[in-house]
Amino acid sequence: MKTPPFLLLAALVFWGWMSGFLLVGALMGLLLESARFISARWELDDPDFSRVWFFCVLLNLALVLYVFTMNDETGGIAGMFHGNIMRNVSDSSVQTSTRFLRWLPMSLFALMAAQTFNLRPSVPMASISLITRWRQRRHKGGQDFAGQYADISYPYFMVCLFSSGIHSNRGDFHYFAGLVPLILWALVANRSKRYGLGAWICAITLGVGLAIIGSLGVNQVQRAIQHIDAQLMARFLRQRSDPLQTMTSMGRIGGLKLSAKIVIWLQPRELAQVPEYLREASYRIYKPDKMTWFSGDKLTDFKPLQPEPDEKTWVLLPGKMNNPAAVNISCYLNGWSHEDNMPEGLLPLPGGVRRLENVPPYMVMKRNQNGAVLAAGRGLVIFDAIYAGGATMDSPPNITSTNRLDLDVPTNEVPALEQVIAEMHLDAGADETQKLRAVSRFFSSKFSYSLWQGWDKVASTNATPLTKFLLTSRKGHCEYFASATVLLLRQLGIPARYAIGYAVHEAHGSEYVVRERDAHAWCLAWDEKAKNWVDFDTTPASWVSMENHFSAVGLWFSDARSWIGFQISKFRWRQAHLQQYILWSLLPVMVVLLYHIIFRRRTQRKRPAGKAGLDADVIWPGLDSEFYQIESRLAACGVLREPGEALADWLERALSEPSVAELRPVLQQLLRLHYRYRFDPHGLSEAERKSLGDQARQALNQLSPK
Amino acid sequence: MKLIYKPIYWTYYVASGVWYWARRRLTLAGFAAAAGLVVSGAVGADIENTVSYQAFLLLFGMLFFAFVSSFFFRAKFTAIRHLPRVGTAGHSLRYRVEVRNLTKHNQPGLTLLDDLADPRPTFQDWLGFQLAEGRRVRPFRVAQRRRTNPFRQANLGASPIPTLTPSGVGEVRMELLPLRRGVLRFKGVTVARPDVLGLFRSFFKIPAPQTVLILPKRYPLPPIALPGSPRYQEGGVALAANVGASEEFVALRDYRHGDPLRHIHWRSWAKIGKPIVKEYEDEFFVRHALVLDTFDEEPNSEVLEEAVSIAASFACTIITQESLLDLLFVGNQTYCFTAGRGLGHADQMLEVLASVKHCPDKKFETLEHLVLGHLSVVSGCICVLQRWDAARQKFVEKLKRIGVPLLVLIVAPPGHRISLAGSPLPDASTTFHVLEIGKIEEGLRKL
Repeated sequence: MKTPPFLLLAALVFWGWMSGFLLVGALMGLLLESARFISARWELDDPDFSRVWFFCVLLNLALVLYVFTMNDETGGIAGMFHGNIMRNVSDSSVQTSTRFLRWLPMSLFALMAAQTFNLRPSVPMASISLITRWRQRRHKGGQDFAGQYADISYPYFMVCLFSSGIHSNRGDFHYFAGLVPLILWALVANRSKRYGLGAWICAITLGVGLAIIGSLGVNQVQRAIQHIDAQLMARFLRQRSDPLQTMTSMGRIGGLKLSAKIVIWLQPRELAQVPEYLREASYRIYKPDKMTWFSGDKLTDFKPLQPEPDEKTWVLLPGKMNNPAAVNISCYLNGWSHEDNMPEGLLPLPGGVRRLENVPPYMVMKRNQNGAVLAAGRGLVIFDAIYAGGATMDSPPNITSTNRLDLDVPTNEVPALEQVIAEMHLDAGADETQKLRAVSRFFSSKFSYSLWQGWDKVASTNATPLTKFLLTSRKGHCEYFASATVLLLRQLGIPARYAIGYAVHEAHGSEYVVRERDAHAWCLAWDEKAKNWVDFDTTPASWVSMENHFSAVGLWFSDARSWIGFQISKFRWRQAHLQQYILWSLLPVMVVLLYHIIFRRRTQRKRPAGKAGLDADVIWPGLDSEFYQIESRLAACGVLREPGEALADWLERALSEPSVAELRPVLQQLLRLHYRYRFDPHGLSEAERKSLGDQARQALNQLSPK
Repeated sequence: MKLIYKPIYWTYYVASGVWYWARRRLTLAGFAAAAGLVVSGAVGADIENTVSYQAFLLLFGMLFFAFVSSFFFRAKFTAIRHLPRVGTAGHSLRYRVEVRNLTKHNQPGLTLLDDLADPRPTFQDWLGFQLAEGRRVRPFRVAQRRRTNPFRQANLGASPIPTLTPSGVGEVRMELLPLRRGVLRFKGVTVARPDVLGLFRSFFKIPAPQTVLILPKRYPLPPIALPGSPRYQEGGVALAANVGASEEFVALRDYRHGDPLRHIHWRSWAKIGKPIVKEYEDEFFVRHALVLDTFDEEPNSEVLEEAVSIAASFACTIITQESLLDLLFVGNQTYCFTAGRGLGHADQMLEVLASVKHCPDKKFETLEHLVLGHLSVVSGCICVLQRWDAARQKFVEKLKRIGVPLLVLIVAPPGHRISLAGSPLPDASTTFHVLEIGKIEEGLRKL
């Protein structure tokens, strides 16, 4: 069934308007409707339609791939390896399918155009069903589908309407307003003659009225759902370093799970110059009851940073640098910014970082006074960090005010700290350097690193885990050491902060890799003389070797997985330059296909005006043969040719008439020439053609009634 | 087993019922609207990223209105269906239905639908089919053809009714494609009216129970010399319409029921006062046994259907020649139908074959006993077998040993190879043919 005139044009314009491809939609519509005025047609057969369909499928696949990699939001293939997998996959699927569905009229246009400009305006069902084709090939049967043709005008019209609705809900009813007249247009063309136009309009009004009432109801429901707050759910899915707080694993029974997954790749500009630590955030307030460190400020305290005019450089700390070093860092942003609606995360940066260079475009960066940089943009960020010793981004300790956060020690930890300080035998007039040395010596000589905390040791007293660590167990992981050091320094009058991030120690060829198990916590101590913060790590160096007991085979697999994930992420987040070649690589295939479709058979034919039927324009050769005159003459003499009787049989019958018998050799020679003229692909030579005409005329003369 | 299949059967039962209902109730536009409703409903659930819910609501509103308005169809009709006596599976059956308008208004834009009896199988039949398909088609084989709906008896279409004047009669030409042999039962006739939007049909049902016998599909057979058929007889005697008896007069005898009228000796009747017939010397006549193997667990199995089709092809080809044909098969009991030479006609044989059912509960030996009992009167045997197992091999070997000329046709599922190695080898009096489903016509041409 064909659509009424210009319905497809209207549907495509509507789709273009709703999807932002107005010009494309209008052009496509005009092209399809132009078939009403153009008489030229292709003669596509079933294999041609199969190729067109294959082309459409390929185009759709290419679009899916392209859309998947073009997404600036989270997810994609990389999302299946890192971060919150479920949410990433879900978000990515939604984004991809949304765009794919929106572009369907464009990607299926070739098939629709092939049908429209084909001599027979329908599509063979077998050409668009892979399974049917397969079965046909296997069984040479497929009788169920062979010879079935369908007009896809209305399905295409429905696809256009459907794709028009694939865009974000802006709260308007433009889609509805366009949908109603288009559907009515389609329906009115097939209206039953049983009812008058008035009844039809009444029915339509009722139907549309019902839909409008329903729409209002849906909007109400939507508002109610939004009120419930979908972000509540998102909170459960959060999995990243929080710039405002970090809950330690202190007090947790059992061992910590360590993953060898590579999360950061570093490429120092000069091999020797690699930062020891990559800091994500630092915290100032410790709450022993929650075993959690807090930054002491709010998310709103993050101040937005502005890039330099080249959009690639971000200055974090202005000023001159002595002996600057540079390192290229590749890291994932595993969080999600609901404000910017894109991936977000804390950047792992070397201490003393001054400037970020070659940052991907369209990033949003903020920093707080504790030196944490919150970046939002692509799921994988690759940049150069320029750093130098000395000043850092962190605010100086506020020790003069009443709110002395950097010297604050929880009161229930004080007795243990005092006991430890007494044990350290510090001189009364020891300066800061001596204190730091003493603390460092104290931890290295009397404490050991352990990822295991036994149940009985913790439960036996009411002491806090930190007190237990300081006084009894004297073994623990980096969070114990860092927390204890911060509090110990504060107790000794040195401003200190708790820092989290990664330790860099594993060289991997010319670059360094940081694994998830390299996550580390350490202390930032205030150097009063230099007026800056310095990294002060008391965790015994053995922690690196203890965490490296991952088996070699397991590590190999894990590295391979991480590497594949990283490469895919680079591709996915347009940090690799492969992406631009996707469509280009598919282009030759599509060109070959198109060539096959269009030029392979070179069977463009003109549709004759005013003649119906497929055979109307075929001029069969030999129809002007003079032998037909002989046939007519003999028929006039009474030797009629029966319907379906072959000329040779008829001639044999005719020659049995005594009056014609004498012409036997001539007529048989003429019949041979006539057959050749009619059916021989090579036809007759000029001389033979002339001979046919002459002999036939002679025979006619002889046959003429005397 | 039942526990697993029962829910699937009920799902099939309900789903096919819903599908049947939707196909009859929804017009083409209605189908498109319903499909749009489903798709827009699925996609439109995400009301933030799409506005397809608006399309869903519009289509829902229209379909709801169409559905409600279908309850307001006040009209009365009667209908008479004029059916032919028989049809053939796979060939369109055309018939006409007279519809009379009993209202005082014109009735334009109506459609006529025919109601067939519910073809949905019982659980046992359905299970038998599923198990057989499970054995035939290996799992995860897309290319292996699964039979989609073996229980459907016919494809029916809707035909438009011409505008019926008040109390007027309209004739509707209907066409039906029988898919299977057997008795096709009609329940009634439905006059359908589309709603204002042309999406949904409201029905007026008229009971009109009728049946039509659908004969099995037949294949064209080449002229074949059947086993035991002397060649010199071809043509001559048959053309003289004296099949099986020579012109040699032997004697007169009393009339017996079934004697041809043209053999009555009228003069003797006039003399004696009772019918006397001329007796001719029996020259010979060829009598063939057409043995049909019906032993199959699966009802409506493809192999059985093809075996019946082959038997039907022989039945309607041979009878026109100069022989008798005994159809031997086993159903609820053992059957033997004889046709030819005035005893029966091809139509009757086809009607018998149309009603042949599978025999799941008897052994092949039952058929063997039946055939061996008939061997004294038959001059040749055509065996249409469903498989080539030990029992059948033994049967054929027995017949060979007795010296009966044989034509053995084995029907094989598509792509299934049957090896004849180790079996009774063909010789001058025995011919074996394996006919693969899908290539049966091709195979029969080679006979």
